[in-house]
Amino acid sequence: MTGTDTAPAIAVEGLWQVFGPNARAALTEARADGAGTAATLKARGLIPAVREASFEVASGELFVIMGLSGSGKSTLVRCISRLIEPTAGAVRINGEDILTASDKRLIEMRRDTLGMVFQHFGLFPHMSVADNVAFPLKMKGEGKAARRARALEVLNLVGLEGREDAFPRELSGGQRQRVGIARSLAVNPDIWFLDEPFSALDPLIRRQLQDEFLSIQSNLQKSIVFITHDIAEALKLADRIAIMRDGEIVQIGTPTQIVLNPVDDYVREFTRDVPRGRHMTLDEVMEPVGETTPAGDWPELRTGMNLETALTLCAASFEAVPVQDGDGKVVGVVHPESFVRALGGEHG
Amino acid sequence: MSLSRGSIAALMSLTVLVLCLLLAPIAPWLVKWPAALTVPMTEWVGAGMSAFLALFKPLARGFSWAMSYPMNAAGYVLGQSPWPLVIGLVTAIGWVLGGLRMALLGAAGLGFVLLSGYWHQSMNTLALVVVSVPLAMIMGLAIGILAFEVPRLRGAVQAVLDVMQTVPTFAYLTPLLVLFGFGPVVGLIASAIYAAPPMARNVLLGLERVDAEIREAAVMSGGTRRQQLFLVEIPAAATQIMVGVNQCLMAALSMVIIAAVIGGFDDIGWEVLLTMRKAQFGPAFLAGLVIVVFAILIDRMSAKLAEPRQRHDRRVSWGILLLGGLMSVVFFSQDPATFGAFDSLAEAVDRGVGRFTANHGATLDGIKNGAMFYGLLPLRIGLDDAVLPFTWGFKWTAVHSAIVYGVAGLLAVFLVLRGRVTAGIVAMIVAGILVTGISQLPWPFVLVGVGAIGWISGGWKLSRLCVILLVLIGVSGLWERALLSLYLSGASVFACAVVGGALGLWGALSKTAWAVLRPVCDILQTIPLFVFLIPVLMFFQIGEFSAFLAICMYAVVPMIRYTRHGLVTTPPDLIEAAESAGATRMQILREVRAPYAAPTILLGLNQTILYAFAMLVIAALIGTTGLGQSIYLALGQADVGLGLTAGAAMAILALVADRLVQGFAEERRRALGL
Ligand SMILES: Nc1ncnc2c1ncn2[C@@H]1O[C@H](COP(=O)(O)OP(=O)(O)OP(=O)(O)O)[C@@H](O)[C@H]1O
Ligand SMILES: [Mg+2]
Repeated sequence: MTGTDTAPAIAVEGLWQVFGPNARAALTEARADGAGTAATLKARGLIPAVREASFEVASGELFVIMGLSGSGKSTLVRCISRLIEPTAGAVRINGEDILTASDKRLIEMRRDTLGMVFQHFGLFPHMSVADNVAFPLKMKGEGKAARRARALEVLNLVGLEGREDAFPRELSGGQRQRVGIARSLAVNPDIWFLDEPFSALDPLIRRQLQDEFLSIQSNLQKSIVFITHDIAEALKLADRIAIMRDGEIVQIGTPTQIVLNPVDDYVREFTRDVPRGRHMTLDEVMEPVGETTPAGDWPELRTGMNLETALTLCAASFEAVPVQDGDGKVVGVVHPESFVRALGGEHG
Repeated sequence: MSLSRGSIAALMSLTVLVLCLLLAPIAPWLVKWPAALTVPMTEWVGAGMSAFLALFKPLARGFSWAMSYPMNAAGYVLGQSPWPLVIGLVTAIGWVLGGLRMALLGAAGLGFVLLSGYWHQSMNTLALVVVSVPLAMIMGLAIGILAFEVPRLRGAVQAVLDVMQTVPTFAYLTPLLVLFGFGPVVGLIASAIYAAPPMARNVLLGLERVDAEIREAAVMSGGTRRQQLFLVEIPAAATQIMVGVNQCLMAALSMVIIAAVIGGFDDIGWEVLLTMRKAQFGPAFLAGLVIVVFAILIDRMSAKLAEPRQRHDRRVSWGILLLGGLMSVVFFSQDPATFGAFDSLAEAVDRGVGRFTANHGATLDGIKNGAMFYGLLPLRIGLDDAVLPFTWGFKWTAVHSAIVYGVAGLLAVFLVLRGRVTAGIVAMIVAGILVTGISQLPWPFVLVGVGAIGWISGGWKLSRLCVILLVLIGVSGLWERALLSLYLSGASVFACAVVGGALGLWGALSKTAWAVLRPVCDILQTIPLFVFLIPVLMFFQIGEFSAFLAICMYAVVPMIRYTRHGLVTTPPDLIEAAESAGATRMQILREVRAPYAAPTILLGLNQTILYAFAMLVIAALIGTTGLGQSIYLALGQADVGLGLTAGAAMAILALVADRLVQGFAEERRRALGL
């Protein structure tokens, strides 16, 4: 049952993870009860860490899961990689059901398809950097020389050349996480899980690693599940974001959708400090008009431009300003009041 | 006025005590455990075990036969190797492990052994250790891994390890003796069994402590379970496992030396025993020193295994080894037994001790008799029996008892009026115990009292457990002996708590004091139990007081350490807060440090109790009564029933004490929100 080309990289359906004794039976019972499954479970002293999660990650997509501490992000990703057994639901990797995979098949998938980066790096303390990176290759049974060559190659990729014979304890936090990233890339997996990979690092290093991460990803085009609790990081990296609360996914959308159309106060609270002008484009505030060519001396506003930039261009204007599309045709106008409204947060 | 739990428990115990003491004249069965309530447990266990052991005897004899080969081989190799080579080897290993310091330690240590003239005996001991330790490590590793891999077994394994730690060493020996027959193999196997639990414990602990992410990283790398375990988890737990190796080595050495009482093997423990029996204190002292040197060598070198490793140039080691080889050729004909550089020292010690005891005999006797007549004896049989005209100058009468009870009563009233109800009642109980004597306490009182303490310390469950366990001792007919053991260990623990607590406090207050105390504690904890007997014998001969001293010397260490540790590790912000509130040093100590340290100090007390019980059995060699003596006797007669029952009774006492104190420590920790 291997997947087809059209199957999403990851498909998660109705996934539940309940911690506690006899979780499976309890969940079945609670669901039969109908409404308030999670509340029923909690009342029985169980912990519903992930509830009814469903989403898909397309091939090559960078999917970010975000939420407060304890909202179940790590648990969700551990279910997907089957580090823990989900209580209910289905997870398909490239169309293949991972939850019913045999132990042997699971090991195969981990050796070939899946890679994971951990929040606190999870480096093997007794191995050198090169041995750490080569470990997944060793599991695959590759020869010593080939392992070392590949390890050096990935270490190069993450900018750690020359440190291959150091031990983890001799490295700084940023360098350790580079090793973690290199290790997860060693077997060149299609699917890449990153559980708060940069949270333990200071802001400067974090930004640097985010940029490097983006550049690595632009070359490798992997399907990624990236966990963070930092909204700025999520908006910067994500193709799409899933927001979790108390084990539940409350909203899935592109960064813009999340910022502009938060489904509830929880999500709104996350995005409160986000400069909205940076994530909103003119398209969303302009009023469409028939196609005409611009007349007169207007600042050059284009569709797709974000509000922050547009505002600096026409800050002195008291009138409606025409907006052009890529070809220079006027497709709409934007009123100064629209700016004020949009940035003031009265949108939606 | 409503009573606290503590007051209720104390009042209940007091009531039972008073009732029993009042009724004792008309119902003597209230004091002595009634014979009607006993079963011939020792015979049953003896018969059962003998049948059981007989089943395994052929197997065991086969094993014993098989083990004799590696043992003889190790003995042969170590015994026949030229001594410069052995010294060179140990020095080289020292270098690899810890550089110059360890190399020097190795050379000096073995040099001392050589010069002492006990080289052959030492090599025999070492041969036993060398064979038993790998056995113990393999067993420990296997048990640890099994318990880790099968979580359902974990609880059971932990419980068994707990019990094995409290069962006295001698108690192992009797069934092994029956199984394997006389001979050094018993010592070997006993030491392997005794040394495996610390290894298993540390392996399990180490594996449990491996960081979850490291574990998961191994899973996500696509390792099979076996690969995860052996390539990642066990190496990642190496530090903790090495702590286990260290403890395993020390336990093995300790047991090998204790097993010398079985005899039949010319090792260093036997040498000590022999010279001690002949009252040749000089040689006994020297042989004891050799054991201490061995213990320190093994301990310090293997402790290096658990430290982050520095690499030391291997070539130096090869050089040392080569030198050893060359020296071997030079000194080929030199028999190590002919060295006796310290013979004169031993003689001097002998003479010195002889002269000292002759000159200060009166003083020593004074100390001994003073402690016996005015301390230990009253505690054992009570003031009413211990106070005699011959020692105290007068005869104890009912009037005296009345006076003691009256004073205690007044004190109690005073305490109760000040709101300290429990303390008041306890004062009455203590008076009752002092007058009656621990070994003559009415059994219903002991059961109710322990049950009451259990109830306060850990609730009904603990209370029930303790009472049931104690009843088991009574039923097996060992009640009196158990009380005797209880008395001696109680006296030693009390002394240790006072002295150790004071020393710990001193160590906490003064850095200089700790600089002196610390190495002493280190050494005392390294020395095998057996060796403690030598110095006390030198000065105080065989007897209860010597046993008491030996127990105290060994058991005082945890009390010192934990007291100091608890007092100095109070969080700085608490102390700063107190300081900024204007507290003096003494006030801080009393109001902040002491309450904060209480749980730690209780744990120290707990360790002290366990140490005391462990030593109690060894001390049977130099004259104690009670369970220890029974175990020792059983060993001599190969009486499995008595050995095991008495051993179990001893373990029960230790276990009950352990649980009770742990309960209090736990309660204190909770109260502090730790
Ligand atoms: N093995 C477990 N047993 C019981 N409860 C667990 C277990 N693992 C996680 N939980 C609970 O599940 C919930 C979700 O935990 P999870 O680690 O997934 O949160 P998170 O979103 O990753 O938080 P963080 O940002 O702090 O890493 C928490 O309430 C946690 O206490
Ligand atoms: Mg997490």
